[in-house]
Amino acid sequence: MSGAPADQAAPTEIPEISAEDIRRRLEDASLTVVDVLPRESYAGGHIPGAVSLPLAEIEARARQVLPDLAAEIAVYCAKFT
Amino acid sequence: MGLLRRLGYSNLRHYRGGIGDWMERGEAVERLAPPLVDVPLVPGQDTAARPRERSLDGSHRRQWATAFLDAIDSRPTSQLFLFWLAMVVLCGVAYWLAALLGYHGLVAGRVPIGFTAEGLATAIYFSFVTATSVGYGDVVPVGATRVLAIAEAVTGLLVFGAVVAKFVSRRQDTIVREIHRVTFEERLDRVQTNLHLVLSELQAIATMCDDGTVRPERVSARLESAAMVFAGELRAIHDLLYRPQRAPAEPVLEAILAALAGAFRELTELLACLPTTFVRSTTLDGSLRVMARLADEICGECVPHAYAPALTMWMDRVQEAARRIA
Repeated sequence: MSGAPADQAAPTEIPEISAEDIRRRLEDASLTVVDVLPRESYAGGHIPGAVSLPLAEIEARARQVLPDLAAEIAVYCAKFT
Repeated sequence: MGLLRRLGYSNLRHYRGGIGDWMERGEAVERLAPPLVDVPLVPGQDTAARPRERSLDGSHRRQWATAFLDAIDSRPTSQLFLFWLAMVVLCGVAYWLAALLGYHGLVAGRVPIGFTAEGLATAIYFSFVTATSVGYGDVVPVGATRVLAIAEAVTGLLVFGAVVAKFVSRRQDTIVREIHRVTFEERLDRVQTNLHLVLSELQAIATMCDDGTVRPERVSARLESAAMVFAGELRAIHDLLYRPQRAPAEPVLEAILAALAGAFRELTELLACLPTTFVRSTTLDGSLRVMARLADEICGECVPHAYAPALTMWMDRVQEAARRIA
């Protein structure tokens, strides 16, 4: 997700979610899907129902876009290689 | 991800495949605006690579007419021409066979053609005359054969027209491709040159700063314009990584990213060296903010394409630098 060295340990602790799970739960309000790609990318195509929260704006806007800290949130970016 | 966790979100899940994987699977995709039509530079080259478009309910959106035109458009010229020839010959044989039905075949000068070799030749001749929409009128269809003749004339005209159009546009495609290539390379050159200019300008300002001979108003103006050029080029590089019309050669991209990382390092040092009394103008502040935002999105893992390790290393450095000036 984020490439700064300090963050690199973090993604390993975060449980993964598969594409199948996301598709199955598209209509499910208890799962919030978050797109952390830039706005242009979001406009060009995103998972249906996903909210846009570009990486650079996370700190500033996260609480406003995702008010519930305990909610189940699936985050994706372009591709994790 | 780590950032969200630090902000206190406790129930995070990571979809590693990302939007790239989602699209590759052919899953439904939502768009805000109608997608920009990305015209393949080489006709037919990436039609196969583009994920199939589906509407939200998963059904195919295309109409059959569009599908037919696309099918014609995506075939190579030679294949279309062969299809046209085969159609003409097959229809010719069909007209000839229709002679067996009595007064439902072709009539040449009031005499129905016979079920003979000569009759076959006449039938194929009629077929060519019909498919090219020439229609001399020396041989005419009668009865049920007219239906086939009309169908052949319509289809033949469409396909033959497509062949002619493709043939004519071949040269144009080459020219357009060449223009794209030249423009793209010029743009890459310009990015490199401007980055070097920015770098030397930043170094020049840094020398003044090191000497302790800073006159804030002079530094401010020079730094402002350097930062503006810097932000512009950074946007171009950001575009290049996120929306590449063509993939630049790896050594070129590496040189650009290395120059970018170098310029960022110089800028960070310069900003650190400026006296605490130095007031950043709103223009400078704006440029810096734009730069931090753009560069924050340049890292090996967040750009939409996978690059060689040497390149992702430079991208990560750019992001690191951006976090320092932010």
